[in-house]
Amino acid sequence: MAVTNWIDHLSAKEVAGAVYPGVGSEGILVLIAFVIWIGWHVISAKQESEKLSKLAKRRPSSSAWKNNVTDG
Amino acid sequence: MTDQLGALTTIFTEFYYWITVVLMFLIHVGFCMYEVGASRYKHHQHTLMKNTMLIPLVTVTWFLFGWWIYWAFPTGPGLAPSIMNESAALITDDSAFSAKWYVPNSELMAVNLGDHISGVFWAAFLLFSWTAASIVSGAVIERITTFAFGILAIAIGSVFWTIDAAWGWHFDGWMLKLLGYHDAYASGVIHACAGGFALGVLAVLGPRIGKFSSSGEPRNIGPRNPWLVTVGLFLIYTGFWGFYAACNIPIFDLGPEYGMEGVTYWTATNIYVTPTTLSGITMNFLMSLSGGLLAGYVIAKGDPFWTYSSGLAGIICASAGNDLYHPIQSMIIGMIGVVVAYKMHYWVERKFKIDDAVGAVAVHGYAGFAGLVICGFVLNGYPSSGYSVGAMWDGATYAAINPLGMFIGALVMFVVLGFIPGWIIAKVLHGMGKLRIPREVELAGLDYEIMEAAKDDEKSVASSG
Repeated sequence: MAVTNWIDHLSAKEVAGAVYPGVGSEGILVLIAFVIWIGWHVISAKQESEKLSKLAKRRPSSSAWKNNVTDG
Repeated sequence: MTDQLGALTTIFTEFYYWITVVLMFLIHVGFCMYEVGASRYKHHQHTLMKNTMLIPLVTVTWFLFGWWIYWAFPTGPGLAPSIMNESAALITDDSAFSAKWYVPNSELMAVNLGDHISGVFWAAFLLFSWTAASIVSGAVIERITTFAFGILAIAIGSVFWTIDAAWGWHFDGWMLKLLGYHDAYASGVIHACAGGFALGVLAVLGPRIGKFSSSGEPRNIGPRNPWLVTVGLFLIYTGFWGFYAACNIPIFDLGPEYGMEGVTYWTATNIYVTPTTLSGITMNFLMSLSGGLLAGYVIAKGDPFWTYSSGLAGIICASAGNDLYHPIQSMIIGMIGVVVAYKMHYWVERKFKIDDAVGAVAVHGYAGFAGLVICGFVLNGYPSSGYSVGAMWDGATYAAINPLGMFIGALVMFVVLGFIPGWIIAKVLHGMGKLRIPREVELAGLDYEIMEAAKDDEKSVASSG
């Protein structure tokens, strides 16, 4: 339950420690965190594979990067 | 909190650990600078990004399961009973230091007015996790995919080092009881473990293109920016102050803790809840750093890359016993660690064609391993815990520190929880074709397209003028 009045909250016989919104729904938050974590790997791995294979097909020489040095 | 003295002690402890976290952040800044300085220009941005992304990956997984592992696994499980509940199972009961409180949906894993310590303690351990993953990061630069590194970083940062911390760093750990293991500032639980893990990965990953000649002779691919390497290492030294402080408990009354009737004894303790002083470990830290630098300068004939790294290796080697050593012992042990690390690095490089780009396996792995073995001799007979002291292998009490137990402990850290998991996971990633970047990309440079885009931007800006 969200805190709506600190005086009532802190003068209670037993002060509830957890004060974040949605106390009791932590399981859902954890599930969401797992989905974000795994999803990030899936998306970023796909992006990386595409980038690497695209560059590998171009086959720039080992010194070609020197032409891309900017003036700083 | 209703009494002022209790509140002051709690808030002081909370703030103490918070400061260590801020200081330890500098270790990561240092690692990033060091890696960029050690890599070649065409790989700089990806090298930095790889090490940066371990921060969120290890943090999220540390929240989800890493921290739980630390509190659940001290008994093995099945190797020695807990002193809290006398069971050798995973510690998930209602006891005070149970993993039950650290599942990710626990009310203690959040802002909680009744708990000022869990969050900062969680964070201090998390920064150790970043360090473990960062050690691996340096060794594999310029040829690993970011995907593979992310998986490996999570494995070492949120799984294997936390298992070894439960086994050999937790006050209830089975390695203390059966082996008399002692590792106050993590020669083994961080450094030997992460160094061994890096070696396992390197054995599968292979060297950078051009590192070895066709006849197998190693070539030097030295740091491209020695000044960035230098500043990076100085930042790692700085962050190490926080690391050392975070391994202590700042204020604790050992009298009631050890069941000594009528005795009150307030002191700082190490992670095992045995007494030490922040003052003394500060001397030892500086003396082992100095021993490392002195030895490194001589053995590497003034080479700056190795000299700076040797300062770190000196600290790492002495860390296992720096809670109790005399400062001159710390200095000498630091010197020995550097000789072991340097000699082993080049022997392994030639013999097994291992390309450890930044000497991470040497500085962390070999120096950490040597530090554990040396600690077994120098602290031979000291109790590994303040709780009931007994004999090796009896399991119910805590064995004293001894050379054999520390040698076995070093093998557990470097080989069992380091090399073997690193090798297996790298093999799986290699089998999936996800471990190493394509040869063409390694030659062209990981940053080729970023640099190309920047050049195009530069041209369009210039032409608009």
